[in-house]
Amino acid sequence: MSMSAQKAAPSAADRIQLEVQRAIQRSIKGVEYFASAAPVLGTTEKDLLHSRGTMKLYHYRPLADEIYRVPLLLVMATTNRGYILDMVPGQSLVEFLLQRGFDVYMLDWTAPRPEERGLKFEDYVLDFIPDCIRRVQQDSGETDVSVIGYCFGGVLSLLYASIFTDGPLKNLICFTTPIDFRRMTLFQSFSDRRYFDVDKLVDSVGNVPPELIFQSFEMLRPASRPIGQIQLWENMWSDEFVKSYRMFDRWAQDTLPLAGEYFRQTTKDLMWDNKLYEGTMTVGGRRADISRITVPILHAVAEHDHIVPYDAAKPLIATVGSADKEEIILKGGHVSLVAGANAIKRLWPKIDSWLSERST
Amino acid sequence: MTDKNAAGKKAADQKTADPVQMWHSFLGDMEKTFNSMSNQAMESAEFSRLMNRMTGASAGAKKAFGDSMEKYLAAMNLPSRGEFTELGERLLTIESRLNEIMSLLQRVHAEVLSGDNAPSAAPRPPRTRRPPSKSGDAT
Repeated sequence: MSMSAQKAAPSAADRIQLEVQRAIQRSIKGVEYFASAAPVLGTTEKDLLHSRGTMKLYHYRPLADEIYRVPLLLVMATTNRGYILDMVPGQSLVEFLLQRGFDVYMLDWTAPRPEERGLKFEDYVLDFIPDCIRRVQQDSGETDVSVIGYCFGGVLSLLYASIFTDGPLKNLICFTTPIDFRRMTLFQSFSDRRYFDVDKLVDSVGNVPPELIFQSFEMLRPASRPIGQIQLWENMWSDEFVKSYRMFDRWAQDTLPLAGEYFRQTTKDLMWDNKLYEGTMTVGGRRADISRITVPILHAVAEHDHIVPYDAAKPLIATVGSADKEEIILKGGHVSLVAGANAIKRLWPKIDSWLSERST
Repeated sequence: MTDKNAAGKKAADQKTADPVQMWHSFLGDMEKTFNSMSNQAMESAEFSRLMNRMTGASAGAKKAFGDSMEKYLAAMNLPSRGEFTELGERLLTIESRLNEIMSLLQRVHAEVLSGDNAPSAAPRPPRTRRPPSKSGDAT
C-alpha cells in the first residue's frame, strides 16, 4: 500500500485516539471560548474623516509606497457594519486593496438614532453619498472617484450613479446587489402587501429594530444556526475554526436598525412596486433609471446567495447603459463572496485586476 | 486493478463507514432538507398572513404600552422618550451646524496652508502607480 493511501485511511485505533484527543481539547477550549472576549475586528489603521449622525466616513492609511490615482470609496450596506470588509489582518479586503496600491475610503453606518427615524432615500442618495464623495475628492485632491457598494450599499450606489450621471464617478463595482426585488421570494413573502402593514409598523416603532432585521435574515435558513452551533462544538478543538466562527457570528449578530422612513420606502418602492427594475424609481423627484449609468461597472454575484438570489441580481448588467460592463459569478454565499477563504482566492484578485486597469 | 486504485477504494469504503463522517453528512443533509422545507412553507400566503399578524400584534402592543407609559411619566412629572427624542433632534441640528463650521474652518485652513510659507502637509504616497503589465511585472 502506498504512503498516501495509508494517510487517507487511518486505522480504527488511530481514529478513536484522534476523537478522544479532540474531545479533551473541546472541553478545555470550550471553557476558554466562554471566558475569552470576542475577537477584535476592523483593525486596519484608519482616520475618521467625517461623521454626521448615522453616517461615518473613514480614510484608511495607505500601505503601499505608490498608489493609483483614483481613490476608492466603499459603500457599506445599511443593515450591517463595515468591518465585514476588514475582519482581521490577512482576512481583510481593505488591507488587501491597500497593499495592492488603492487609496481606500469607507462610508460606514452606525445605528440611526430615534431622531433619525425620518431619514429617507433622499438623505442617503442625494446627501450622504454625494457629501462623502466631495470629501474624498477634497482629501485625495482627485476629481474622479471609484465606488464599491456591498448589497444594499450597491443599491444606494446604483441610485446615486443613475442620478448623477455626469458626476465624478469613474468606476462602479457592486457586490451581490439586487435590482429585481420580485425575485427575492422569501422577503416578498415576509412583506406581502396583503398582510404586511408597513405603515403601522414604522408608525409604532420609529426605527425598525435590529432584532427584526436579524430575525428576517435568520429565517431564510432556519436550520443553519442550530447546526452551526453543533459544528462549533465539534470543531472546538480547532483554533482556526473557532476564530472564524466567532468573527462571522459576531458580525452577523451586529445588525443595525433601519431608519423608519427608509424602511417604509424600501418596502413600498422596491419590494412592492419593484421600481428599480421597472425603471420608474425616483429619489427626491429625480429620476433614478439605472439604464442611464454609463461608467464601467463590475457586478460580483454569489452562486449560493440565500439573501440576494442570483435571479434578483442578474438583470443589473443587462439593464445598465455602460459599454464596459461585466458580471462574475463566484462560488460561495452572500458573505463568503466578500470575506473568508473563498473571497481571498476568487473575488479579491478579480477586483484588483479589474480596478487597477481603470484607476490610473 | 492497480495497487493505487485498490488503496483508493479501500480508503473510500473506510470513509463511508467512518461514523464521524456519516454524522457530518447526516448533519449537512438535515440542514439542507430542513431549510428547503421551511423555505417552501414560508413562501405561502398563509405563513405571511400569520407572521405579519404576529408582528402587527407585537408592534400594536408596544405602541399601546408606550402610550400608557407616556401618560404615567407625565403624571410623575418626568420626561418621556418622545421628549428626549426631541432634545436629540435639537442636538443633531447643533451637530450638523458644528460640522458645517468645521468644514469651513478646514477649507480655510487648507487655503492658508497652501501659501508659499506654509509647512508641508503629512506626506502621502504619489498617485503614480500603474497596473502590473500583462507579463505580471509589478510597476
